[in-house]
Amino acid sequence: MYSNERKLVISTAYDAVLTMTISPEIRDLARRLLASEAALDDSSMSMESATLRVYEKLRHSLTAITGVTSFQSLACRALVMAKLEDYSLAAVQIAEDGSLLGFNDYDLQIETHKGRTKEYQSSERGSMLIARLLNLLHIFLGEALTLRLLRNAWPDATFDVRNSGTGEKYDR
Amino acid sequence: MTADDKVKINKLPTGVPGLDEIVGGGLPEFSFNIIAGAPGSGKTTLAHQFVFANATPERPALYFTVLGESAIKMLRYQQQYTFFNPALLPDAIRFVNLSQIVLENELDAVLDEITNEVTKFNPAVVVVDSFRTMVRKPHDGMELQTFIQRLALFLASWQATTFLIGEYAEDELRDNPIFTVADGLLWLRQTTERNSIVRKLQIVKLRGQASVPGLHTFRITNAGVQAFSRTFGLTAGRRDALGQKRLSFGIQELDKMLDGGVREGDSVLVAGSSGTGKSVLATQFIAEGIRQGESGIVAVFEERPQAYAERAATLGLDLEKPQTDGKLEILYLRPLDLSVDETMHSILTAVQKIGAKRLVIDSLAGFEMALSPGFRADFRESLYRMIFALTGIGVTILSTVEVDESFIEFPFSTYSISFLTDDIIRLRYVSIDGQLRKIMTVIKMRGGNHAKDIREYEITSKGMVILNTRLTNYQGLISGLPVHTGKSSVEEAALHDENIKKNS
Repeated sequence: MYSNERKLVISTAYDAVLTMTISPEIRDLARRLLASEAALDDSSMSMESATLRVYEKLRHSLTAITGVTSFQSLACRALVMAKLEDYSLAAVQIAEDGSLLGFNDYDLQIETHKGRTKEYQSSERGSMLIARLLNLLHIFLGEALTLRLLRNAWPDATFDVRNSGTGEKYDR
Repeated sequence: MTADDKVKINKLPTGVPGLDEIVGGGLPEFSFNIIAGAPGSGKTTLAHQFVFANATPERPALYFTVLGESAIKMLRYQQQYTFFNPALLPDAIRFVNLSQIVLENELDAVLDEITNEVTKFNPAVVVVDSFRTMVRKPHDGMELQTFIQRLALFLASWQATTFLIGEYAEDELRDNPIFTVADGLLWLRQTTERNSIVRKLQIVKLRGQASVPGLHTFRITNAGVQAFSRTFGLTAGRRDALGQKRLSFGIQELDKMLDGGVREGDSVLVAGSSGTGKSVLATQFIAEGIRQGESGIVAVFEERPQAYAERAATLGLDLEKPQTDGKLEILYLRPLDLSVDETMHSILTAVQKIGAKRLVIDSLAGFEMALSPGFRADFRESLYRMIFALTGIGVTILSTVEVDESFIEFPFSTYSISFLTDDIIRLRYVSIDGQLRKIMTVIKMRGGNHAKDIREYEITSKGMVILNTRLTNYQGLISGLPVHTGKSSVEEAALHDENIKKNS
């Protein structure tokens, strides 16, 4: 068990990360990418494999541009933040080449934090990681360039310039 | 097509304002270029500008990043520049990171990867940034040279215009075999002078076309790199056609002293100590030009345009309306670390914009102070280039210069620049009858028969007013401490006229 002091540190870190909120548009973008990949797979573990496929497409696309090390750093950062919100990712790690390790090795877990209980469903799992990764890209590169770079990974997707304050909207 | 037809080398726009002119109209298509310089000198930004100016989805640009700056950070910072157009990514501009290959493999593997990507995307432009980080590995010199030669040959065959970006120090310029392979070598320099940074670029080498020699100032702004050619893109070819028209000051007596006015295209220096009315005279020169339909530019360094216009209003001269009407621009040029070339660029832009015929630089001392210390050393040379270029296109320049009042000499300028000017008007204080009065004389007028008179003048609410009679009954006026001759002015004038008659 943690000491009170340790709990305070964890709580502070948790709050700090939560304040780095992800916009609804980024969450929506992550969900859309996952849903579209899941639709291509009718297996029972569709969301897990969809998450991996989305992640792998992002990894290959971004690694080509940024290099392995840069992508691996970004992915580690995204995972650390995602874990604070999604305990089911606790065992997941980022390999040296930026790939995900241990993503499929989990049992449905119950997170208890700050008196709240949250159960993560299969359909939600992984979306936080993707959203965090996209959010980091958004922070570093901005919306327009992030969406442009996603074209590398999803060349068939359309990125319409409509209904968005910054001019770009993902659609597929 | 005949046997005498020479191959035409297309010139590609650099995307860097001012650089096309320096390189002779654009960079040769399919050339293999090196952009060299110290870290922070603007190499990557310059390469990006070229890429964004030339990349299309049909003929994209491939931008290889190697070690050094992270691609994410590079994109983060580069997109702040106004030339960065995200719409060109990823179809027209593709970034490819080679760091892992460089770290894990030899140069052959790097070349293979570049070859693969180039073959796949058929780019018009290829950039390797930073090429120097690849060669810091312990390759022997021959392997590196072979690599560069193979790369150059391959990329030229694939019709790609190529840039290798490298961090190089000044002393590495000599005897470097890498530079032998290159068609073009652009060297960016950044030096510290006291508290100022001075940026200059040089086209050390450019095959196939003539570039403007020498060091050219450049600045990095939110629009990217902007270069300022030493020649300002101007020639003095029109000079011979000028000089017929006389430009009035709007001061009848002064125009008479100048044999009808300043010759069009002349450079006029108005020298005098503080408070003698140099700026007043300059303002009247501009105002009279506007009155006669000649647009004007006033470059001020010591006060803001609003204050300048307000001061003109106290002389009954309206400089507000001409500004609104596009007949006048008052340029306030006082950012830190200016170069003459940048100042010239601002002035030229304004001259071209409103078709200015008259230019006032008020003052040379303020101009010099606005320059970076590193540029002040070249002030005379820079002034020469500026005056030559501007008067060559028919602009008449009036510069004011403050000189220390001396009672033992009669200096025209503290800059020893009188040889640069066609006409010199000297204003000075003189002590007469217990009063500090003002006198003026035309010292020099190239190609004109100017008056030799020393005339007293006053600054009134209507500007400069030259008094009717010259001060004939004093000797040593230009010393500032004249001696009364004991004769009346009428007697002195008669004596003077008689002497003239005798001698002629």
